[in-house]
Amino acid sequence: MKFAEFKAPKGVIKVELELTDDKISRIMLSGDFFMYPEDAIEKLEQSLNGVKADRDSLLAAVQRFYSSTGAQTPMIEPEHWVEAILRAVGG
Amino acid sequence: MEWRLLPLRIDDAFTSMAIDEALLKLNAEGKSQNTIRFWRWLPSTVSLGWFQSVEREVDLGVAKKYGVDVVRRITGGGAVFHDYDGELTYSVVCKQSDVPTDIIESYKFICGGLVCGFEQLGVKAEFKPVNDVQVNGRKISGSAQTRRWGSVLQHGTILISPNVRQMFELLRVSPEKISDKFIASVFERVTTVEREIGRKPSFEKVREAMKAGVEDSLGIKLVEGEITDEELELATELKSKYASDEWLRKR
Repeated sequence: MKFAEFKAPKGVIKVELELTDDKISRIMLSGDFFMYPEDAIEKLEQSLNGVKADRDSLLAAVQRFYSSTGAQTPMIEPEHWVEAILRAVGG
Repeated sequence: MEWRLLPLRIDDAFTSMAIDEALLKLNAEGKSQNTIRFWRWLPSTVSLGWFQSVEREVDLGVAKKYGVDVVRRITGGGAVFHDYDGELTYSVVCKQSDVPTDIIESYKFICGGLVCGFEQLGVKAEFKPVNDVQVNGRKISGSAQTRRWGSVLQHGTILISPNVRQMFELLRVSPEKISDKFIASVFERVTTVEREIGRKPSFEKVREAMKAGVEDSLGIKLVEGEITDEELELATELKSKYASDEWLRKR
């Protein structure tokens, strides 16, 4: 299990993940951020499962999550999730 | 526009969370009017944001030692230590159409009532996006909001005189950080009504000030009213969820 945290401009994103063949095989995101609606967090995790753990693939997956769900995360941008995940991947 | 103001209540964390959700749900169904309430936590409690991991944020052993409850909120945001003797908590439930659509603007709208209430107490505070009220850069109130089914629940703290040292024992800050120096640095970032005006006002006095502030700032009339049987019944149903281990360990 890999873990890292990243301080976004407002809120800390904590990431627990496992990799299989360079792809995310399990991920849990936690922290003191806000997401509306709240249960979209599970969709974000699902949409990251099976994604190759590089910046471009992760960013594309997170952006797809936002456009397909319309979820809002005040002061947290797609890049912040990606940064947090990459830290866990490298850690 | 008239909103209901409920009497000051003192409940355990699970009951309070259940009441907030019941008010939200019934407001959305058109069965509860827009409502504001002020309340306290007995016993003192650590509340976690919806997205937080309980293991990573709270020392459950320390909570047990002090007899402090731990509950996961229906709202996002951070872990908070709610001191029975040091905090008045508020909840606002209203139709989403009665607050600005933009999330930060809606925090600003509701927190405006608190800012005005602090002014009544002689404390010059201001809204700090996303969800804080500050005095000279120090947080005196933090809020969290959720939106469900067309209604909004926003609840938050009004710090009167909380026990900051106990707060940092309960929340997972590394032990070496809980030094006098660390506590001093917290006092640079957090403040309380007691500290700002040099005495501790009664909870009822703070409630009255906030009531007046909310009426002025939101342009509404608050009418004292009781919680309904329907609201209490739904809250009783919802309480078991908040008290469950499954809900606490959701993340």
